[in-house]
Amino acid sequence: MRWIHAMSAVALLGAVTAAARPADASPTREQYRLFRALSIDLQGRIPLPDEIAAFERPGFDLDAWIDQHLQGAAYAERLRRVYLDALRLEVGSMFNFVSNPLVLRRVRVIDPDGNPAYVYFRRAQRRDRVESDLDFCLSPEETGITVAANGTLTGTAHPIDRAAWNQRTVEVRPWWLYRDYRSASPSQRISAGDGSAMTLSPVAGLLMDADNTTPTTTVRVCREEAQTADRGAVYLSGRLTALPRTEPYPGGRVTAPPTDSAYARAHAGQMVSCTSGTGVSLSDDCGCGVGLERCMPGNSLGNDPAAFNLPDNVPLGADQPLDSRAQTQGDWSRFWWAQEAVHFLDDLFVRDRDVRGLLTDRGTMVNGATAQFYRGFAGSTCCGNGTQFDYAEPAALFDPARVPTDLTPHDLATWRRVDDRGPQAAGLLTTPIFLAKYGTRRARAHIVYNAFLCRQFVAENLALTPSTEPNLMVRPGCAACHAALEPLSAYFTRVTESGWTFLPPAAFPALNPACATRGGNSPNGGCTSFYDPAFGSSAQGMLRGAYGSLAHADEGPPGLARAIVDAPEFASCVVKNVSESFLGRSLTAEDQPLQESLVTSLRSGGFRMRSMVRALLRADAYRAANNLASATWREGATP
Amino acid sequence: MDTRRRTFLKVLGGAAGAGIASQPLFRAFADPPVASDEFFVLIHASGGWDVTLSLDPRNERRGIIEPGSTDTIDTAPIRLWRDAPLDADSSTFEILRPSGSSLRFGPAIGALAEMPDRLTVINGLAMNTVSHPDGTFFAATGRHLAGGKPVAASIDTMLANEFGRESLLPTVSVGYPSTYVGDDLDARVSPLRVSSVDTLSKMLNRGNVNTTAADRLAVTAMLTEEARDLAARSWYRDEIEGFGLQLQALPRMLSPDVQSIFNATSLAAAQPTFFPTPAKRFQARAGVNCAFAVEAMKRNLVRCVSFSSASHDTHSNNYRSQPLIQQELFDTIAALVRALDAAPHPTRMGRRLADHTHIMVVSDFCRTPQINLTLGRDHYPNGSALVISPKFVGNTSFGRADDDQMLPANAGTFADGARAVAPPDLLATFVSAFGVNPRKYLRDGDVIRSLLRA
Amino acid sequence: MKTTLQRACLAALLFTLGCNSTPAPATTPPVTTPPVDAGAVVTRPPEVTPTPVTEIPGHEVLAQDRTPKEPPRLMPAETLIRSYISLFGGLSPQALQVRLRGATSDNLFDTWGDYLSALGVPDYAVDIPRAPQTNALMLAAFERIGVALCERAVQNDLRGAVATNDRVLFRFELPAGGRALTDEEFGARFDVLHRRILGYPAALAPESRIPRFRALYQGAVTRHADAGARSFNGPEAGWASVCEGLVRHPEFHLY
Repeated sequence: MRWIHAMSAVALLGAVTAAARPADASPTREQYRLFRALSIDLQGRIPLPDEIAAFERPGFDLDAWIDQHLQGAAYAERLRRVYLDALRLEVGSMFNFVSNPLVLRRVRVIDPDGNPAYVYFRRAQRRDRVESDLDFCLSPEETGITVAANGTLTGTAHPIDRAAWNQRTVEVRPWWLYRDYRSASPSQRISAGDGSAMTLSPVAGLLMDADNTTPTTTVRVCREEAQTADRGAVYLSGRLTALPRTEPYPGGRVTAPPTDSAYARAHAGQMVSCTSGTGVSLSDDCGCGVGLERCMPGNSLGNDPAAFNLPDNVPLGADQPLDSRAQTQGDWSRFWWAQEAVHFLDDLFVRDRDVRGLLTDRGTMVNGATAQFYRGFAGSTCCGNGTQFDYAEPAALFDPARVPTDLTPHDLATWRRVDDRGPQAAGLLTTPIFLAKYGTRRARAHIVYNAFLCRQFVAENLALTPSTEPNLMVRPGCAACHAALEPLSAYFTRVTESGWTFLPPAAFPALNPACATRGGNSPNGGCTSFYDPAFGSSAQGMLRGAYGSLAHADEGPPGLARAIVDAPEFASCVVKNVSESFLGRSLTAEDQPLQESLVTSLRSGGFRMRSMVRALLRADAYRAANNLASATWREGATP
Repeated sequence: MDTRRRTFLKVLGGAAGAGIASQPLFRAFADPPVASDEFFVLIHASGGWDVTLSLDPRNERRGIIEPGSTDTIDTAPIRLWRDAPLDADSSTFEILRPSGSSLRFGPAIGALAEMPDRLTVINGLAMNTVSHPDGTFFAATGRHLAGGKPVAASIDTMLANEFGRESLLPTVSVGYPSTYVGDDLDARVSPLRVSSVDTLSKMLNRGNVNTTAADRLAVTAMLTEEARDLAARSWYRDEIEGFGLQLQALPRMLSPDVQSIFNATSLAAAQPTFFPTPAKRFQARAGVNCAFAVEAMKRNLVRCVSFSSASHDTHSNNYRSQPLIQQELFDTIAALVRALDAAPHPTRMGRRLADHTHIMVVSDFCRTPQINLTLGRDHYPNGSALVISPKFVGNTSFGRADDDQMLPANAGTFADGARAVAPPDLLATFVSAFGVNPRKYLRDGDVIRSLLRA
Repeated sequence: MKTTLQRACLAALLFTLGCNSTPAPATTPPVTTPPVDAGAVVTRPPEVTPTPVTEIPGHEVLAQDRTPKEPPRLMPAETLIRSYISLFGGLSPQALQVRLRGATSDNLFDTWGDYLSALGVPDYAVDIPRAPQTNALMLAAFERIGVALCERAVQNDLRGAVATNDRVLFRFELPAGGRALTDEEFGARFDVLHRRILGYPAALAPESRIPRFRALYQGAVTRHADAGARSFNGPEAGWASVCEGLVRHPEFHLY
């Protein structure tokens, strides 16, 4: 019985406090277990031998160790994982980012000397020759080959006339080969690269000339593409109607030469931005910029040609890739969008910024690749039918003027914070990866509702009866969810779906008389791209998505960010997500006191995670927990 | 329940001693394992398929329905597309009415049109969602997501739990929305989630130069004992017990017989019909998965194979490929049925695998009846499903979507009144076909007895 | 993880026994009376008077386990890979991959990418979630990687001329001439590995731990007594097995 008395005496003291042990006592098994758990959570690996040795030394201060490790890359990664598991901010090839103003494809031709040669061109390029306008700069008659829109080549190549060769094409030292591509005489030719994400690594095909043996020192590109101006004049070809199909097209081209659009006719000679897709489609002055910086190379005529070697798998971070392979220019963009989210999150957690910045921060992190995207690529998807609203120059979510100009695409390992992207920026909500991953307004609102308020739209067993009611907020069966979802979705009214083009109020008022329904008929085609006939009237059209809340439509993503972080559930949702990740289980009613104390800790700490995580790691639920059965404990095992 | 009560009960547990082991009193006891001769193939047509082109064909402009036409679809590769008038500039399709069948199909149904007697079609599924993750897990588990997380076991886990505990591979899940959630799940049936079947062979490769299989077996045996002892010392035993049970399965998994079914070259040799030349443009992976399913079932190694197809999520002008994506999937399923017809059952003399294999195909939801501004179709809270099972009545259709808006219409009187059919009903009916009480796994759903053979 | 069923049973049991734990603190939860419809018949459930545990016979001498219980967590796949890397000296993943692959005829390792999905790494691009629990395939991957790590570590540490402190795992010497280890000698060396891999001294492990691993070691030694030139000799095979047993152990993967 003696041992029972002894044990009950021990029991009355309650759980062994794992953190504090007498100075001369060796750690107990559960204390070793706790240290290992903390290492896994805060260092991202098991403890090293010298770390264990330090832990074993008398006087080891576990709390100080925890404080020391509540910072740095591993800690940030631990928290980042919580949010990336919830938001899943990566997109695969299903998000097709092949923007013709962006992509330089290449054709294999025979040069005047009879040698094979590559010529780069882009399909979106305007040219002042009818034979090649919006097509390859050398006509089929000049090359002997026809370049079809789907990338196939037909015909037999013959040497190109030297005069045409020199007139239509030029040699350039491009950004993907020269680190100093912006200089007057680039000379810093890069080496092949290691295929990591830290150095630029063009695919092998981009490093060799068409003979497959000569390292490429210059690339030959259509003359128009080599232009470097940032702005160009709207070009008028004089072609008002399409050429009839009954006659051969000039130069042997297989596609009809483009005609002058109404916008071009109305704005002939006016200057447009060469960084917008519309600008490229309107001006033959618009090229790919200095060193072809505004374009992405491709090693073929394919729709999404291979461009760079990149890692496929980076679970340990882009600086520790597991592999590398040739990937397309679309993959390049998708990879770096995802990395921006990674670095955005890491920066927030490393610097212990206000966690509300996940949604409200106007800043972000950029490296050379993302800087190139924001400066020169992002606008390529603008502006489509927006020209009918005189919208030809994108008003970006990330003002290109705020992008660091000194970061080149070679600066892949250099991540720099931009404190202010502009008034429309809102944390992760206005990053390309978020907008690509969650393409529709409702998808964007839904994930924010779910990930940051821990709430879900669940329709359960509601019956959906046929109805002609367009307003989902009142439609039977739909209202249960959409009464809340539509107003949230309205915050994204001014961000195009599956894209990042912003629709400014000046060009796209939420209520637009120019897009009124006329006599019960739908407004003109351009209007229906942006204005929803279901919610228009004879007086005005309503911007798509705005019916949920006109006010929200004008507040935009920053408005949603404010609404979410101001919601009472926000703090408890942060606590819930982080706690469940660290504890490895869902929180239950029994965790209510813990959850409340952590919410208090988060709020009182200015919504900085570190104090909350510290409190969590000191809570019994994390520290003193064990999985030993009571009988085992009584048999003498150390709890 | 507060901590004080929890503490007391653990004391009580210990005090009772012989009567109650020192483990959670509430631990559910596993049902005794059930031997089974049935196999299951569960397919998720990911992304939301356009059922107007296949299972619930619509070729008229009516209400808000805009049928697929030569304006929006590449019809050339669709074998069963026959032009029907739509308007001056474009044609829609003729609805297929297989001979001797009351079923109606769109041209994307592919080779399944040749076997209507094997098909049970469910239309007008009330998906009540247009969110990919929610629709996906609703179709697979019968419950919507809560907090973004699944709250119930998926159908493949249910079936594996009932019939697959003794199988080497209870469930192989290739991108399927498999979940392992619930109180009564055996640790052995945790789904083997893989990105593709043919990469598994590398996991099962072993070198024998420095150490041998006997050495590794000894380690496995020792670890099994360690896991058992650790579980006996544990308050929460499930994870560790599961670890131990999975260790026990390991030696069988490493046998050459198993390795060969995870190798694409071996699969192609064994089931060449699933590896046509040229390869299918969209659904080549589905072919690999079906080949694996057949070979694994022939060897009685797996109870349930579940996989997701290529995506049907055609919002823009990629809608032009929608019927081809479906046709390739349905052709693959038809090839699966034929392969099962030709394969002997591994344990039932004189029987075919087809006599004891049950296939179910569902999707996240379907697509809007309207064509959108980018010439595609968006998400729509209606759905269809397909069952090919000897337990189900073939040549049958159940449920419907209305004629003008394609919303789920009343399919009959259920326990909670007249309503449309919903995924929980389909799942309940499916599991009950094998004698399983649906309420063991499904909170909702009625058994539709008219779909089941007597 | 506690489940709804478990809590229901707990609640039922508590109700049945009419018991409570040690006396509650002074605060008493407020009693609220629900609104009653005048026409409704309301029956209040019978009152349960809490009984202090000390008044229940036998409890005054029985030890109480008040430690909070939590189920073990599965080490995240990223952490697992990084832990593997740290066990092998902290090389970069690709450099370690090269080392593990070694001579291709060994067939010891493929690529990290081949194992990621089996290890439960999420694929956000296609919305494949993180694997929350183990399965047989994951354990097969643990074995594949564990065998590669341990065999390469044996080759590096016990066959190579590497100073003890520079070794990746086996930071101890073996008796000269291949002499068999005594139990004490084995225990001391096993403790080095146990600390390194599981993070605590072997002496604190359950009693059966050391004897089991001793038997594992000895079994491998016996099987490799007549090993060929390429195969590990007895002690090498023994320590490779011990290493593998630790790297594949539930205590390594669950925390």
